[in-house]
Formats: sequence, C-alpha cells, structure tokens
Amino acid sequence: MADIQQHLQALTTDYQTLQQELQNHVNSRQKLESQQQENKAVQKEFSGLKGDANIYKLVGPVLLKQDKTEAVLAVDGRLEYIENEIKRVEKQIKDVEDKSDDVRAQIIKVQSEAQPQVVA
Amino acid sequence: MSSSPKGQGVDITALSLQQLSQVKKQFEDELTHLTNSFTQLRAAQAKFRECLRSISTGVSSKVEGKPILVPLTASLYVPGVLADSDNVIVDVGTGFYVEKSTKDATKFYEGKIDELGGNLKVLEKIIQEKTDGLRLIEDVLRQKVLNSNAVATAS
Repeated sequence: MADIQQHLQALTTDYQTLQQELQNHVNSRQKLESQQQENKAVQKEFSGLKGDANIYKLVGPVLLKQDKTEAVLAVDGRLEYIENEIKRVEKQIKDVEDKSDDVRAQIIKVQSEAQPQVVA
Repeated sequence: MSSSPKGQGVDITALSLQQLSQVKKQFEDELTHLTNSFTQLRAAQAKFRECLRSISTGVSSKVEGKPILVPLTASLYVPGVLADSDNVIVDVGTGFYVEKSTKDATKFYEGKIDELGGNLKVLEKIIQEKTDGLRLIEDVLRQKVLNSNAVATAS
C-alpha cells in the first residue's frame, strides 16, 4: 500500500513539473507571437515607404540613421528567426503535452489499481 | 437570458457540482484575461489619440518660431524652438523610427487607431459571449446547489 502511495506521489510530482514546463513554453510562445505581430506591423509600414525615406534605429539612447534596404533586411531576418523559434517552441509544447498525457494515464492506472484494494 | 443550455456539445446540466465549479473557474480566468487585454488595447488606443492631438496642436506652422518648453524628464523642462513643423519622427515599433510628414504621421496614427478599434470590437463580442456563458453556468450551478439542499433536507 505504501508502495503505491509513494509511486503515486512520484508520478504526481512528475506531472506537476511537466505542467510547469508546459506553462513556461506556452508563455514563450505567447511572447514570440506578440513579437511576430510587432515585426509584421513594421514590415508592412516599411513596404509603404519610399526608397529615400529616413529610417532611424534606436540604439541605446540615440537614433541612428539607417538605410531602408538594411532596415527591411533586418526586419525580414527577425521575422524568419521568430518563425523558426515558434516552430521550435511548438514542438517543445507538443512533446511536453505528450509526456504529461502519458504520466496522467499512468496516474489513473495506478489509482484504479489501488481502488479495489482500498475497497477490499 | 435562458436557463436551458444551448447546443454547445456538452450539456452543462449533466455535469457534477465539482465539474461545474471547475468550468466556472476556467470561464472566470478567461474572462479576466480577456478583460485585461481589452483595457490594454484601450490604453494603447488612447496613447495614439494623444499622439494625434500632439501633432495637430503641437506641431503646426502656428507654433513655429514661438518658444516652447521641452520636457527632459517629467519635472525638468528646457526652453526650445520648433525647428521643423512639417516633419516628425514616428516610432513604428521594434526600435525603428521613420521620418514622416505630419500628414503621413496623422494617417499612420489614424490607421493604428482604426486597427485597434477593430480588435476592440472583436474582443468585446468575445467577452460578451463569455459573460453570457458564465452567467448560464452560474445559473445551473445555483439550481444544482438548491436541488441538492432540497434533497438533503427531504431525506
């Protein structure tokens, strides 16, 4: 009986850790999403600009003038990076979800095995 | 407001008290999150409106040449003169700033405000739906508690 209890305890701890991990991944996914949105808005804004428009980049406390092509390239690069990050994080989320489903199934199994013994 | 559950896949009257409370909590959490987002969008929209106002009153040919006070911090101002009343530098996000004419800048901010307005409308509809759902769940929950109390006193 104590064995089962201990086993169950360990599984529950595992499950909680996995849930926490999942939450972290979901948070980073959300952060990436908002960054993607912001960069997309900037990209859209750039596409409507003339070639000779003055673009500045905030570096620390000063604004540095930047070439349009350079700025567009920087934003495109960032979007690409963010997209890859999103894919990576989504895979992590799926992995953790699978793992936590697995652990949950184990918990239910152990619990249902313990049940008849309690009744008996 | 009807007390009968709509065809949403799951009949909420069939759920146990505990399950129902859980669903209720989930709805409440979602609602808090959505309301927070709504407030944030509202605040962002107000900020853009403020920018529009600043352009129309602060950056016009009427102001040119007149001395103005430029805030360095919230409590420290230095005198200055507006050098260019036709162009402004606009923060377009992610650390990029673009020089625009006041006309283009106004258009930019109006576009932003409209975009946010659209988002706000969509969000408002979702919040309304969630609130209705929550009310429905609360009704069923109350009914269930009353019923179980009646059963308890009857037996």
